[in-house]
Amino acid sequence: MKALNVIYDGFIRRNPTFVLILGMCPTLGTTSSALTGLSMGLATMFVLICSNVAISMLKNLIPGKVRIPAFIVVIASFVTIVQMLMQAYVPALYASLGIFIPLIVVNCILLGRAEAFASKNSVGLSAADGLGTGLGFAAALTLLGAVREILGTGTVFGLQIYSSDFGALLFVLAPGAFIVLGLMIALFNRLYTNR
Amino acid sequence: MKSNLANMVLSLTVLTVIVGAALAWVNNLTAEPIAQAKAQALADALSQVLPPFDNNPAETATRADGLKLYSATMSGEAAGFAVESYSDDGFGGRFEIVVGFDAKDAVYGYRVLSHAETPGLGAKMDTWFATMPHDIKGTSIPLAVKADGGEIDAITGATISSRAFLGAVNRARKALETYKNGLK
Repeated sequence: MKALNVIYDGFIRRNPTFVLILGMCPTLGTTSSALTGLSMGLATMFVLICSNVAISMLKNLIPGKVRIPAFIVVIASFVTIVQMLMQAYVPALYASLGIFIPLIVVNCILLGRAEAFASKNSVGLSAADGLGTGLGFAAALTLLGAVREILGTGTVFGLQIYSSDFGALLFVLAPGAFIVLGLMIALFNRLYTNR
Repeated sequence: MKSNLANMVLSLTVLTVIVGAALAWVNNLTAEPIAQAKAQALADALSQVLPPFDNNPAETATRADGLKLYSATMSGEAAGFAVESYSDDGFGGRFEIVVGFDAKDAVYGYRVLSHAETPGLGAKMDTWFATMPHDIKGTSIPLAVKADGGEIDAITGATISSRAFLGAVNRARKALETYKNGLK
């Protein structure tokens, strides 16, 4: 029951993209299409679950003063593993995400969850937190990518919905990312928070 | 846990050693699939840019002007060449292409291997120069965009990318000439 609560927290109440506003660099950079947004989200989710579990297992063995470098070593190694696996088995996807895969290391969500949750909670709950937060991030990136892809090129996941001649290129480019993200944050806060 | 020098050094050392071993293991595991994926990508690109051939061009790699050059043969006769070329003048920095030439040194096809051009503008170069009326297939002279007095229509709104792309094609042609002059 508690685990479900933790997942819900990460997914909705503390959604990393729409509520915490963390990890904005990959959010803006990789969401020019739904597919790249989704794959970036899933890669980050995988690293987040692994690093949360590993860090919560190690939390009593790491001296407080060196915990940050220890967390970073753990996170960086999982990112490198993901990078090598993607290069080996999904090279086309790896090519389209490019530099953003190694940059998962510096995504504040990972260190944030390690420091705020995994280093204080049990292994099970940390895995649930990684899953919830990761799902929240992946869902946000997919949604953002889908909206930008539809408005910009008339396709979603590569499926043509209307002719790309009517697409507003702006939404595929950087300014479109800011505009769509801003509107989505506003909408999300209207729906799920009582401010 | 309370920190002191001994346990800080010890914990970080043990952690990095374990992590290093794990990474070495995964690297070992993926080294072969990664090499295979790269070879497959190259073979796919070569078969798309070259006229029909029956040898394995990837095995014929040589260098000319610092570019990689592959020769294709059909039942022993020269069928064409493919040249891996690049440009540093793209709108988003360096991009890499492979250009195929037929037996008469006319452009047969090309593939963009990697690029960082703007989606919807410069990124269209992967199809733009293969579609009429701005097709570069069959050309055998150095190319230039119309804005520079050439004959090729630049991609609408992406003259810089187009110019860089044609520059990369010309670089490939020059490498091919250097290679052929070297054979004489």
